[in-house]
Amino acid sequence: MNAASDSETRIEALLADPAYAEHPMREPLAQLYRQFQEQVRQLDRITRISDRYQNAAQREASSLTERLNKHLKQVEKIARISDRYQAMLQDLNKRLEHESTHDALTGLANRRLGLARLSELIAADQPLSIALVDVDHFKRVNDAFGHEAGDQALTAVAHALRDPLGGTELVARWGGEEFLLIWPQTDLAAAIEHAQALRLAVPAQAPTLAGRTLRTTVSLGLAQRRDGESVSQLLRRADAALYAAKDAGRDRVMAAQ
Amino acid sequence: MTELKIAGSTSTPTIECTTQPARVYMKGDSYPENAFDLYQPVLQWMEAQLASADALTMDLELVYLNTSSVRIMMDLFDTLEEAHTSGRQVTVNWYYDARNERVAELAGEFKEDLSLPFHILPQG
Repeated sequence: MNAASDSETRIEALLADPAYAEHPMREPLAQLYRQFQEQVRQLDRITRISDRYQNAAQREASSLTERLNKHLKQVEKIARISDRYQAMLQDLNKRLEHESTHDALTGLANRRLGLARLSELIAADQPLSIALVDVDHFKRVNDAFGHEAGDQALTAVAHALRDPLGGTELVARWGGEEFLLIWPQTDLAAAIEHAQALRLAVPAQAPTLAGRTLRTTVSLGLAQRRDGESVSQLLRRADAALYAAKDAGRDRVMAAQ
Repeated sequence: MTELKIAGSTSTPTIECTTQPARVYMKGDSYPENAFDLYQPVLQWMEAQLASADALTMDLELVYLNTSSVRIMMDLFDTLEEAHTSGRQVTVNWYYDARNERVAELAGEFKEDLSLPFHILPQG
């Protein structure tokens, strides 16, 4: 029994004792005792309320933590998925860029990329030679065997031209059955050598279709860039050389002087 | 329950919410200027539908989603997951072009952490 309740028991006994019923201090003591008990009750109540508030606050804090963790997890997931979508877009961009600069049939650079590369080299004032290549009698292949055979023949020519015979910076599909070759740091004599090798490589790599060899030959018009010559002037001279090769009977290399 | 149809554009998917049976269909790319404005009616439609219907199917043919769209898709899936947990028959079918496996992988990311039936199906 603790001291407080010990004294409470004694006071309650004294107040109940009839021997002190007329004692002048009995009434004030009884009043004081009632006030004391009321205060004890109030204190209990405040403590209980306070405990409940504390519990509620604790619960709220832990549910906030839980919600915060859930949100963090969600944000991480969003970021992860979003990053992957961006990677997908980047790959798509690369593919589109490749498609916009390459020929779908042959896989070669297209006219746009060929012209851009040639313009860059000329803008940098690099010495170079070029060739415009045309497949001989291509229309006959198309007419005789159909467009699919024509496509096959073009692909074979593209492959033969792309063969690493040395020094060819770029092979581009210039038009329907025309190709552009660029040889940087190459004079006309060396370019003619490369061109002759390619001219022979084309029929050697001719495709076969239904047992028949689609023997194709090419004519090449070469030009070495002159000092200060523009892209279009150079192309015009190569084109004139190509026409000369055609006029002279095809399957040959002609160089612009 | 009324139907909800939103015409698609290059930056927003075609959205069709139809009833009997309840179905949400979305097809295309999603990078709207304001994803919340676009999808809020869909979320509301779905919540209203789930309050009365026992079943809901979501058919998706989505390809590209920007970050806000990813966030909203997760909200839509969370709503479906809650309905699933409370006993409703909800199903997600995410269709993708068989030539683009990456879309399937991304759908798989969304599927993670969900217990509702979520099918990732190749097309073509």
